[in-house]
Amino acid sequence: MMKRLIATLAVATLALTGAGRAEDKPAKVTVGYLNLVNAQLVTKHLGLLAKEMPGVDIKYVKIGGGGDMLRAIAGNDVDFGGLGNPPTAIGATRALPIKGILVINMLDYVESMVVRTDKNITSLKDLKGKTVAAPFGSTTHYLLLQALKDEGVDPASMKILDLAPSDIAAAWLRGDIDAAWFWEPNLGKTVKNGGRILVTSGEMAKRGYPTWDIGVVMNAFAEKYPSYVDKFIKAECEGIDFWLKNPEKTAEIIAEELSLPIEDAQRMMKGTGMIPCSKQLTEEYLGTSAKKGKFVDTLISTADFLVKQERLPKLLPRADFEAFIQPAYLEKVIGR
Amino acid sequence: MSIEATHMTIPISPDRTRRGSLRLRLPKVSRSVLLSTLTVAVLLAGWAIVTERGWANELFLPKPQAVWAAFVKTMTKGYQGATLLQHLGASLYRILTAFTLACLIGIPLGVLMGVSRNARALLNPLIEFYRPLPPLGLYTLLVMWLGIGESSKLSLLFLAGLPGIVISTIQAVTSVDPVYVRAAQSLGATRRHLLFHVYLPAAGPLILAGMRISLGFTYTVLVAAEIVAASAGIGWMIWDAAKFLLSDVVIMGLIVLGLTGVVLDLMMRGIAKLLMPWA
Repeated sequence: MMKRLIATLAVATLALTGAGRAEDKPAKVTVGYLNLVNAQLVTKHLGLLAKEMPGVDIKYVKIGGGGDMLRAIAGNDVDFGGLGNPPTAIGATRALPIKGILVINMLDYVESMVVRTDKNITSLKDLKGKTVAAPFGSTTHYLLLQALKDEGVDPASMKILDLAPSDIAAAWLRGDIDAAWFWEPNLGKTVKNGGRILVTSGEMAKRGYPTWDIGVVMNAFAEKYPSYVDKFIKAECEGIDFWLKNPEKTAEIIAEELSLPIEDAQRMMKGTGMIPCSKQLTEEYLGTSAKKGKFVDTLISTADFLVKQERLPKLLPRADFEAFIQPAYLEKVIGR
Repeated sequence: MSIEATHMTIPISPDRTRRGSLRLRLPKVSRSVLLSTLTVAVLLAGWAIVTERGWANELFLPKPQAVWAAFVKTMTKGYQGATLLQHLGASLYRILTAFTLACLIGIPLGVLMGVSRNARALLNPLIEFYRPLPPLGLYTLLVMWLGIGESSKLSLLFLAGLPGIVISTIQAVTSVDPVYVRAAQSLGATRRHLLFHVYLPAAGPLILAGMRISLGFTYTVLVAAEIVAASAGIGWMIWDAAKFLLSDVVIMGLIVLGLTGVVLDLMMRGIAKLLMPWA
């Protein structure tokens, strides 16, 4: 009798607390992170997400590039992901069920075009007749075509190959390619083996072609577990703060996560622009819910470029790109 | 077994029954054609209904008209610098070159291993070891050894096609009735005679069946082979379009790939009939 009473009480309490909570707790959260050098590695290494989400099974999946991330999102394999501006423009145009919620990083010389020193390549014009590699659909493929266009060099005058970053490093060591525009940690291997940086993504940003990576959340996840989107942002912001405040310790973490010498990690870190969360809501980046920032402009010009490359069927109106950028979660986290 | 049976039945069966079976067969053929057409029609209709009703997200399953439009556009204007026929040509060149090489090496190897126990014992570990290896795992190594050019692609396709041919040729040769061999030997046949007049004709149909299966294997690794550093080819087109979420191009490419496979198989069967009318 007593036992039954306790059991009933227990069930009732459980039901009550369950009903009292506004939302369920996800059993598992999958974070797809790009194989790059940024503060997501710090967040992952320090287990900051697990601290924000106790009792939730957190799974990190490393994804090689934007094209693979798009496929992972389309296949509903991740809850949170990261995308460069070209894949974001593709995803937004193709109406993938995602929203951009956080600036993961701005790309400076962590992404660069490397050329073989013994091939006498001093400008983009010298690339004629050469073999150039880039991961198609990524930020660097976009910048390569954009830079060639600005210099008035016909992309058809050279052989442009689609290779994953790790394959670029392997092909470079074999001597199969003369130039490549891609990113760390593999970029460093090519520079060390007879390579020289010709153009960096940071220089392209100054010419009006910024490239960045944005954190995205699946719409279905955000609708079901809105407070867990806040928790995700909070954890990532902590990682960014740690990066900015503890450069030595961060370099150690990056070196360990990517199995690199510490000097390499330090150099790569300097080539990545980390934006503190408090600054992300300014005009320069996401902007606010009331007035979206320059990320929208970058998305539109990227999409426009991809339409001209026949990689996208049509350019969507500005409102669609504005709807994609969702600063509301970050606003809540920062308390504005 | 089957060779013996056909040799037996053809001379014995009288003319009347043959004509009778011919009369019976005609409606059978048209019936099977009808049923096959029905399958295709039902599939197409289902596809049209599902997409017209909006039951499927167009990102994943575009409308048949969109796929057709992608086909027309790729035929006329091309996809990323090459028309559909150029993409198809690049892929067919790779498949047929690799497959021909696999046949040129695989059939003699299979005959040798079928005839000689020693050869079989010597080479079996190699074939058995790499046969079940997944092509992508093999490919990373091939790219490191041979580079990102055509040679690594051709090698992957070749290695995918080879074991099927070797194994089926061994089986074909070992299943040749020893009575044939002994009969030929008693009539004074040399090893050369045995090979060309007994083993190959008797084992031919099974070898051809193995070639058809192996061509299928070669075909299945095409997309994998064209993922690394290709700029043309149906497999590459599908892979590239998937990166940009152009599912109409992806589905169009898959249909073209499937139909080409069917045509290649029909051609193989036609060649078989020409070369081995007794099969």
